[in-house]
Amino acid sequence: MNAASSVSVVDDDPLVLRAVGRLLHSVGLAVETYSSAQEFLARAGRGRPGCVVMDLSLPELNGLQLQQALCDAADSRPVVFISGQGSVPASVEAMKAGAVDFLVKPLNEGKFLSAVRAALEKDRAARARQAGQAAVLARLATLTMREGQVLRHVIAGKLNKQIAAELGTAEKTIKVHRARMMHKMGVGSVAELVRAWTLTQPLES
Amino acid sequence: MLAGGPRWVAPALAVAAGYYLAARLGFVFTLQLQPVSTLWLPNALLLAVLVLARTRDWWWLLLAALPAHLFAELQSGVPSAMVLGWFVSNCSEALIGAALVRAFVAQPFRLDGFRNSGVLLFAAFGAPLASSFLDAALVRWIGWGETPYWELVGRRFFSNLLAQLTVVPLVVTWAALLAGGLPRLRAARCVEAALLGAGLLLVCLLVFGVPPPSAHFAPALFYAPLPFLLWAAVRFGPTGIASALPVMTVATIWGAVHGAGPFTAGTALENTLEMQLFLAAAAVPLILFAVALDERLRLERESRAQLTHLSRVATLGELSGGIAHELNQPLTAILSNAQAARHFLANKPGDSEMLREILDDIILADERAGHVIERLRAMFKRAETRHESLDMNALVREVTALAHGELTTRGVQVTLRLAERLPRVNGDRVQLQQVLLNLIMNGAQAMVACAPDERFLTITTLATGHKVHVNVTDRGHGFSVAPQKLFEAFYTTKQDGLGLGLSISHSIVTAHRGRLWAATRRGGGAAFLVTLPALAPA
Repeated sequence: MNAASSVSVVDDDPLVLRAVGRLLHSVGLAVETYSSAQEFLARAGRGRPGCVVMDLSLPELNGLQLQQALCDAADSRPVVFISGQGSVPASVEAMKAGAVDFLVKPLNEGKFLSAVRAALEKDRAARARQAGQAAVLARLATLTMREGQVLRHVIAGKLNKQIAAELGTAEKTIKVHRARMMHKMGVGSVAELVRAWTLTQPLES
Repeated sequence: MLAGGPRWVAPALAVAAGYYLAARLGFVFTLQLQPVSTLWLPNALLLAVLVLARTRDWWWLLLAALPAHLFAELQSGVPSAMVLGWFVSNCSEALIGAALVRAFVAQPFRLDGFRNSGVLLFAAFGAPLASSFLDAALVRWIGWGETPYWELVGRRFFSNLLAQLTVVPLVVTWAALLAGGLPRLRAARCVEAALLGAGLLLVCLLVFGVPPPSAHFAPALFYAPLPFLLWAAVRFGPTGIASALPVMTVATIWGAVHGAGPFTAGTALENTLEMQLFLAAAAVPLILFAVALDERLRLERESRAQLTHLSRVATLGELSGGIAHELNQPLTAILSNAQAARHFLANKPGDSEMLREILDDIILADERAGHVIERLRAMFKRAETRHESLDMNALVREVTALAHGELTTRGVQVTLRLAERLPRVNGDRVQLQQVLLNLIMNGAQAMVACAPDERFLTITTLATGHKVHVNVTDRGHGFSVAPQKLFEAFYTTKQDGLGLGLSISHSIVTAHRGRLWAATRRGGGAAFLVTLPALAPA
């Protein structure tokens, strides 16, 4: 697990906040505690790795609103909701908005810890994907216009001859462009190129 | 109770003194040239004492009366055999009456309800009757005086019947009253009682204490004390009538002994009997009337208390979700702390500082859950109304704590604006909490349709002059009907509401000599104002 990732706990009840924080700390997780949504938004730097455990019924800004605020701030940290009352509409709304889990207090230790670990894993995977995507995009930016055109055609599964015909140049020229493009993209095969390309595409939902 | 003495010394001395005084009074109430007193009080006093006492204490209470009996009677020149004989018959009267009461009514005896009063009147009738046969037989056997047996039975019976009707209700009602501690009476009530007593005494003296203008007037005069007796029965219940009847009885006999009043037309014997019959006949229906009225009022009070309790439980039912939350929080803290402790013990068992912190928090959480339960239990309890000096600020804080979970769930933000140095008020804690809880819940429910960031509830306390005000203001939909309509029973705008909350709150506040007002708030919402008299100005 990434050493820098931590679990942020948000609960307005100091006793519960301390207890949940301790429980997470006791299994070796890094924990930060916040007693209100405002404090969390102000103090917890956005874009930090980790996940958020928050109470649903926080005063003033409640859990769902805080989740929305995180979304708006493009903070992708996964959220685990904990709530005193297991209200069905609220849990549906939370899950729809992308919460990892919705747990009812008092917390079942096993379910809670596995939900938090799942959330951390989800964050780690997302961050890894993001990192890969950024690398591919950087490589893409180094391509010339012609190399970019060739790339699209290669991905579309066309042969050099077909590409040359479409772009109106010699097959030999295309071969050169293609080799340079493959080199710049840092891939050795068409399959690798396709995988890298897919990273830059928005995920199908 | 005498300091250091056994616990029976004081009651025994009191019985002896009471018996002696009652006997002296009995001699005073004896018409001239008559061997039997018109109103022989000691037996009735003994009966009343036995009715109130535990059965196993009876023997020494009766024994305590013996010296007083001997002391009083031996002064009057009666043969000692007769004196002892009378003590036996007097004790038998008290025993018969008390045993009758004990057989039908469980301790402690109270003069309420038809059953109890019926049993008491039956004992007041049966005990003198039964013991008079014995008493007359003893008198004839010892040979004291010349009066024939049946005449003795009759004279003694009526004398003692009147005494029983006069003394026993008086002692029993006052004993019950004083057993619950001397009630704090309002000044108005004391003035009323004083007026009633003075009026009754004046009328009785005018009617029974001066010679009648003419014999024809006599029957009409009998009714003159009746308004006062009814007043006593209606306004002061069994205790009132039990206290008023002796006034009339004493005044009548005192008048007759001094040759005044309407009972002076016939021979001494005729006058005595006439007077006894008149007084006994007046006493029985008046006592029954007072008891019946008292019972009805009590039932009404009880059903009102039940309704109040019912409405309180209904309000608490609405809070149940929030209360579950209030209990869930500390439970969550306890569980997670305990589990964390288990992990710490497994991973780094040396960290005792961390374990101490965890245990401290577990104790805190447990105490918090305990407070929630404590508050709830007080509200659920069907308690008798108990007035005490209260701080309305503290009451507001307690109720908002009780409703905290529910208010949080409803997204209602509560602002408390509590006055510093608020004078205390006199009231029933649970009932006033019920009123506040009701107003808070009404306010919260009225804001269901509001946007979450507009659900503001403000509770303000304020003191002006000799009054304490608590204002509960919401920003909900307000109300469109006349304010007094809100306080009507069964008027409700909620789908599943009983329509009792505000009506009961209103009657609670009124019973506290306060007022409950409703007003619409400018800009939407409703304001409810509870005004209570302050105990002492700030």
